[in-house]
Order: sequence, then C-alpha cells, then structure tokens
Amino acid sequence: MGNSVIVRRLGLLAVLALCVVLLALVPYLPSYYVRVADSILVYIILAVGLNLVVGYAGLLDLGFIAFYAVGAYAYALLASGQFDIHLPFIVVLFIGAAAGAIAGVLLGFPVLKLRGDYLAIVTLSFGEIIRIAINNADDLTNGPQGIAGLDRASLFGLPLTSPVHFYWLLLVLTVIVCAGVYYMERSILGKAWRALREDQDVVRGLGINTTTLKLLAFALSAAIGGAGGVIFGAFQRFVSPESFTFQESLLVVLIIIIGGVGNIVGVIAGAVVLVILPEILHFAAQYRLLIYGVVLVTVIVLRPGGLVSPRFNLGFIIRKVRTLWLSPSKT
Amino acid sequence: MALALENVSKHFGSLVAIRNLSLSFDVGSIYSIIGPNGAGKSTVVNMIAGSYSVTSGTIRLGATALNRLPKHRIAQLGVSRTYQNLRLFDGMTVLENLEVCFFPQSWLTFLTGAKRLSKAERLDICHACLAEFHLSDVADVLAGDLPYGRQKILELARAFVTQAPIVLLDEPAAGLNHTETKDMAAMIAGLKREDRAIILVEHDMDMVMSISDRIDVLNYGELLCSGTPDLVRTNERVQEAYLGTTEELDDIRKLAQSRRAQGGLRANAGIVRH
Repeated sequence: MGNSVIVRRLGLLAVLALCVVLLALVPYLPSYYVRVADSILVYIILAVGLNLVVGYAGLLDLGFIAFYAVGAYAYALLASGQFDIHLPFIVVLFIGAAAGAIAGVLLGFPVLKLRGDYLAIVTLSFGEIIRIAINNADDLTNGPQGIAGLDRASLFGLPLTSPVHFYWLLLVLTVIVCAGVYYMERSILGKAWRALREDQDVVRGLGINTTTLKLLAFALSAAIGGAGGVIFGAFQRFVSPESFTFQESLLVVLIIIIGGVGNIVGVIAGAVVLVILPEILHFAAQYRLLIYGVVLVTVIVLRPGGLVSPRFNLGFIIRKVRTLWLSPSKT
Repeated sequence: MALALENVSKHFGSLVAIRNLSLSFDVGSIYSIIGPNGAGKSTVVNMIAGSYSVTSGTIRLGATALNRLPKHRIAQLGVSRTYQNLRLFDGMTVLENLEVCFFPQSWLTFLTGAKRLSKAERLDICHACLAEFHLSDVADVLAGDLPYGRQKILELARAFVTQAPIVLLDEPAAGLNHTETKDMAAMIAGLKREDRAIILVEHDMDMVMSISDRIDVLNYGELLCSGTPDLVRTNERVQEAYLGTTEELDDIRKLAQSRRAQGGLRANAGIVRH
C-alpha cells in the first residue's frame, strides 16, 4: 500500500469528518441560521420527493405543494383544538404520508393520459384547486384565517419544540428519504421510470403497464410531500392557505431544475442555493426578486443541465468511497 | 403457438390501409412481409403489436384475441418488436436497456401475475443475451453512445431477451451498410428457433430472399402473393407491383439512357453521403 493511498484515504476521511462536523455545528448557530437550515432540509425533502415524478418519470408536476398542504392540514386537523383531536406526531406523520399518497393517486388518475405541457397545466390547476378549497372550507379549515395553536409535537417522549429539535428530526428524515429514493433509483423500478421518461410507447411495448408506473411515482412522491407537510405543520404550529401558493410549487420545481434533474446531489445543492439566496438578498429587499431572477436565468443559460453535473451523483460518490476503501489500486 | 390475422382491415379515415387481410404465422419459421412503399407493411406490424387498433377482423395469438387488449398486455403475452427508427433508451446503459424488459417479472408480479425472476436470474439472462449478440464489451456504455450499427443490434437483442414467441422486426437493416446488413441477416437467421416466429418487414431484398421461409407480398393493403422466396421472385404480379409493367420499364430505361448521353445525370445524383 503506497503512501498516496494513505494520503487519499486521509483526505477522504477529512472531507467526511468535515461534513459531519459542519452538520453537527449547525444547532450551535444563532436561531436564525438554524431556521434557515431547517428550511433547506424541508425543501431538500420536498424536492427529492418531487424529483421522483419530474426527474425519474419525466412528468412535470407544477402542483406539488398541494401534497405538502395535505400533510400540513392533516397535522392541523388531527393534532389541535380544531376538532379536539390530539393524535401523536408520529401517527400523524404516517397519516399525512398516506393522505398525500391518496391525493397523489387521485391526481394521477385523470392526468395520466396527458403529457408535457398539458400535464403541467393540469397539475398546476390541481395545486391551486387544493389551496382554494382549503381557503373556502371555513368549517373544516377556518378558511384564510388558518388553524393556529397546533399541538406541540413530541417524538418517543422527546419534545419537538425548538428549531434545533426540528433540525435533528429533519436531518434524520432527509437521510432516510435520500437513501430510500437512491435505493429506488437503482432498483428496476427506477430503471423503468427512466425508460418511461425517454419513450413511453416503447415502455408499453415491453409489456410494462405505464399507468401503474406513473401512479407509483405520483403516490410515492406525494407521500414524501405529505410527510414534509406534517413536519411543517408541527414546526410552525400554524397553517394557512398562504403557505401553499403556486410560488411554492414553482420553487420546488426550480430547485430540481437549477440543481440537476434526476440527481439527488444536484437537488440538495439546488435547495441550498435557492433557500439561502433570498436570505442573503435581504439587504436589497426591493431588488430581491430581480436579482433572484437574474441568477436563475444565468444558471439556466450557462449550465442548462443544472449546477451539478449528472455524473456527480450519489452513486458516483458511493462508488468512489468504496473503491478507495476496498481496492485502492483501481482508483 | 401461432399468430393469425383473420380478415383484418385497417382504415385511416377514408384511406383503406389494409383490406381483408388473412395471414397465419407459426413458430419455427422466419416470415417476411414486403411490398412497395405505402403497401401497409408497417401497419400490419403496428396492429399486431397493439399500436394501432384494428378497424375490423381479429388478430389471434393461440386462442387469445389480441386486438381488444392494451399494448402492454399484448407484449406480456409474448409479442415483442423493434422499430423502424431506432427507439432505444439512449440515457440508459446497454445492460439497463435489456434489464428493464424484465420489469413485469420483478417484485410487481402481484399486479402482472407473471412468473417472478430474482435480480440475479434477471442479470444472468441479460448478460447471456449480451454475449449472444456480441455486446458484452459495451454492457455499461450508454446506449446513445454506441455506433449506429450496434444500436440496431441492441434493439434486436431487446426484442429477443424475453424469449417472446412472436418477434416483429420492423426494417432491421434500415441505415446499415452492405457488410452490416449481411451480418444482420446472418444474425437473424441464427435466431430462428422451434418455439419462435420471426416476422420481418424489410426493404433489403437480398436479406429477405436469403433468410425467409415464407414471403408475404402486400400491395395497396392486400395480399398479392405469398410463398417461398423462389416463388415470389418469379411471380409476375410481384414484379409489376415493384417495377411497373414491362412497357413502363422500357420507358424508364430509355429515359435514363438519353440522360446519360447528355451527361447530365451522374450515377450518384441526389444521394447525399455522410
């Protein structure tokens, strides 16, 4: 074993250690930064979820935030004084994910025959319909006033009250979601989705029921969105239709496009950039949207494939680490 | 198992693409469907595969009527195909292009009712198939990065990997050069098996004549003639359909001679070489 291998292994260890230390240090930052970190993690979860539909299956869904709303309102209705139902957080987390999946299938059925632009328009409308329905269902949701005073969440006896608590929860959930999606991507299901993205007719000609395939993508992605919504509700302890506008759907789609479609590492990078950017631009409040727009256009013009190259994905990183560790001679 | 077309017609609006066509294909042979452009060859393939609906008549695989089934069910029953223009999954590797064919045999079998294959079994089959089609060296290359000839072969491999009893090949030699076409013909001839019917739609007559057990000639959506290559080659109606009547042929020859005499017509005029 040569010296260079040891150096490279140490380098790798150092990079990994640095990542862990940075992630572990976040809770010690001032509360504002922890909130930003929470926000980044929420958007990573949402974008990785939406990426199943947009990135892998190739179906542009512009109404994704509706599933997030379904999850958030699941918590608001099942863990608050609204109907005096107080289910534990973990139970609502699963209910929210299931409700999201059901909503995903309900959306999926009518839109399955549509492709491209038409699909985008119908999903966009779906997102708006959910928001407007919530806005008008006064008896159920208090309409525009929203539902306040949601239960303080706790998980296995540990309280979830401060941004730091949610940081850890979200971090664990992000890792679980990313690992799950990565596993799916590598499974034959992920391959079938990618094939679907390339040529739907040929996929059918191979004996694959594309309806099932698309519904699975919609349901799984919506379940992740629903789970994210439950956490959002528990964190804010207040929900109103305001939080689920088209802009939010757009932001999640932009995270995927800016980061790198179909690439988990890209999606993470996209979430970091698009959540931090508006925060940095606080000082120029009135030009914020303008600068935001210029940055987006610049990225799309200069790197149309996204900030992160498709080659630099989770599989690539894992392979790199594995070969360096198990058979360094090959690297 | 046999595939049979019974009085099948296909209308596109007022255009009659196929009129009362009855054909039967048994396993164990290679069949070719030929005919001038617009004769309805590809329409037949697309109807069998379920891409086009049938206006009237029935297509049967064994005892099952195919023409009311969705396309993916037809494929699951054992009809696989290639396409006139290459339609591979360019962004996926060569191996993945084959692997994805086994999705109906994966963990989703509770929906498809198919026989389940483990991942190891699936990969074994795919690797064996790659070896058979001389693609093992490019297993991990993106399909879109392969040279054209090998992409054609990969599409062929994808049609055969699931051991479908009925394989439809829509112009496998299109775009191939002379040597590649010969190799392709030899490869298809080598794929003939007792439990498989290969149905070929092809313009390259050398290939059709050399590997077919039976040739069906279509003209304006009707069966003009059907039989062994020798029979079809000597059939007068076939020659007329392809080359026109003898008088027309003489006219064309005279025209070409006069042009050549003027020096205005080069042998390759109008052909763009890339």
